[in-house]
Amino acid sequence: MHEGTWLRDRAAFVGFGHTRYGRRGELAANGPVPLVVEAVVKACEDAGVSPADIDGYCSYSNDPVDAGTLASTFGAKALRFTAMGWGGGGGAMCGAFLYAAMAVATGQADLVAVTHVIVQGGAFGRRWGGMDRPLPRFPLLASPGQSFALAARRHMHDYGTTIDHFGEVAINARRNAANNPEARFREEITMEDHHSSRMIADPLRLLDFCMEGDSGNCVILASAERAADLRQPAVLLAGAAMGSPYRWGMGMFGGNNMPAADFASAGQRTVAEDLYRNAGMGPEDVDVANIYDHFTPMVLMGLEDFRFVPKGESGPFVAEGGIRREGKLPVNTHGGNLAEVYNHGMSHVFEAMRQLRGTSCNQVDGAEVALVVAGSSPSPSSAMLLRKG
Amino acid sequence: MSEQERAELPAPGWDPVTTGYWKAAGQGRLVVQRCTACGAHRWPPAWACYACQSTDWEWDEVPGTGTVFTYTWADQRPDMSTPIYNISVIELDGTKGEPVRIMTQVLDVDKDTLRCDLPVEVTFVPFDDEVAVPMFRPRVDSSLRGVR
Repeated sequence: MHEGTWLRDRAAFVGFGHTRYGRRGELAANGPVPLVVEAVVKACEDAGVSPADIDGYCSYSNDPVDAGTLASTFGAKALRFTAMGWGGGGGAMCGAFLYAAMAVATGQADLVAVTHVIVQGGAFGRRWGGMDRPLPRFPLLASPGQSFALAARRHMHDYGTTIDHFGEVAINARRNAANNPEARFREEITMEDHHSSRMIADPLRLLDFCMEGDSGNCVILASAERAADLRQPAVLLAGAAMGSPYRWGMGMFGGNNMPAADFASAGQRTVAEDLYRNAGMGPEDVDVANIYDHFTPMVLMGLEDFRFVPKGESGPFVAEGGIRREGKLPVNTHGGNLAEVYNHGMSHVFEAMRQLRGTSCNQVDGAEVALVVAGSSPSPSSAMLLRKG
Repeated sequence: MSEQERAELPAPGWDPVTTGYWKAAGQGRLVVQRCTACGAHRWPPAWACYACQSTDWEWDEVPGTGTVFTYTWADQRPDMSTPIYNISVIELDGTKGEPVRIMTQVLDVDKDTLRCDLPVEVTFVPFDDEVAVPMFRPRVDSSLRGVR
């Protein structure tokens, strides 16, 4: 029935680039296009190719910078492939890489760039969770944080998860970011700092939230054959998957009617099953995991959906140091959304590439396989496994 | 009342597939979509049945009792001078098929009293002269009603 294995090792990640990571609105002066242009140029320098040779573009989350604009800007002789992932936030992030990989592996295009830009302030940005608008007459769900708090609260109720467990995810992110010169938040925090930070959406506090910011981002994919002739050590796509479980709907954004066992989850249980099958791997093969950490509890639920721990046991796992860089499963060695930058997950891909090239600021010795997990809760979500070529 | 103002209705929003829910609430009734082919209730409102894929459905009145499945509080609000409120997911009693959970608000509770599994019952908060918003409050055991 399911032949998702065909793509295994046929596509490669050959370059990445990004603008500096700005605070919300800081890079908004000239709109989103120059941020993506800069990211594409840097990714091409990394890969050793010309931007004019990029003949495909993929993105997600209704990215405002379209493929036609980019191909024309760079004078591409022909644009051959474009695809946009449905859904908001970073859910379809790895899905965009899946499209790009399929395109280069099947010969639809030669070099495909996955781009994503965030300018969350100024004239070009507007936030759903913005607290700068008047309350409607009947205030209910008003921000992503409140949505994820619903899952977090239920996880606490079902499994005895505590705010200490959330706090450990935040502490781990800052601890890794302390070694990352590009990270926005490099100051380490304590459990006391976490607990005393302002309550935003009970049980979630300020330090359970990532901080919105501005950036342009790009990764370039090529076929595995083409990648062998390019500048960087090969990083291959072992597998990718996208989707959501039965009746997931809009997840915590108003779905809420999935089976109870899936409610307090990242909505990635089926994506994980498909991913492991496609890649011919299991959780035991993963050396480093970059799990979308817009909110701390979603890392816990991601550890469960991807079967690093049995359902409900992520809290004790992190409390024992399981996700620290010296632990059983180093998680978000760059600092993640929480401490490096919130760019809808693109930096999780950059860090996976660094780990497999051996150039991370928190290098995991002998890293051969990296998991990248895209945003939880929207439908579709997505994930992918990268391996050293 | 204008369509523009009804766009401010909370989840599941003012939409062709939800108007019956809001109008029934305006008449003091809590209704949920029911598939007329297989009898399964469903939420959020949708144009086909998840269980049998039939597109035939009707609004069906349910008892209006349930329990809190999960909740959060709007500790941070655009205007901090407004009272804190909660966002709660209520699992309804008396439905067929898979459990039905609606997102709304529980009134008359605070951080000490709102909890998962709290028994609640519906109350209707008028929105305009035709529609109301179903919200919930802690349920008083019917055997105790009149005693208090």
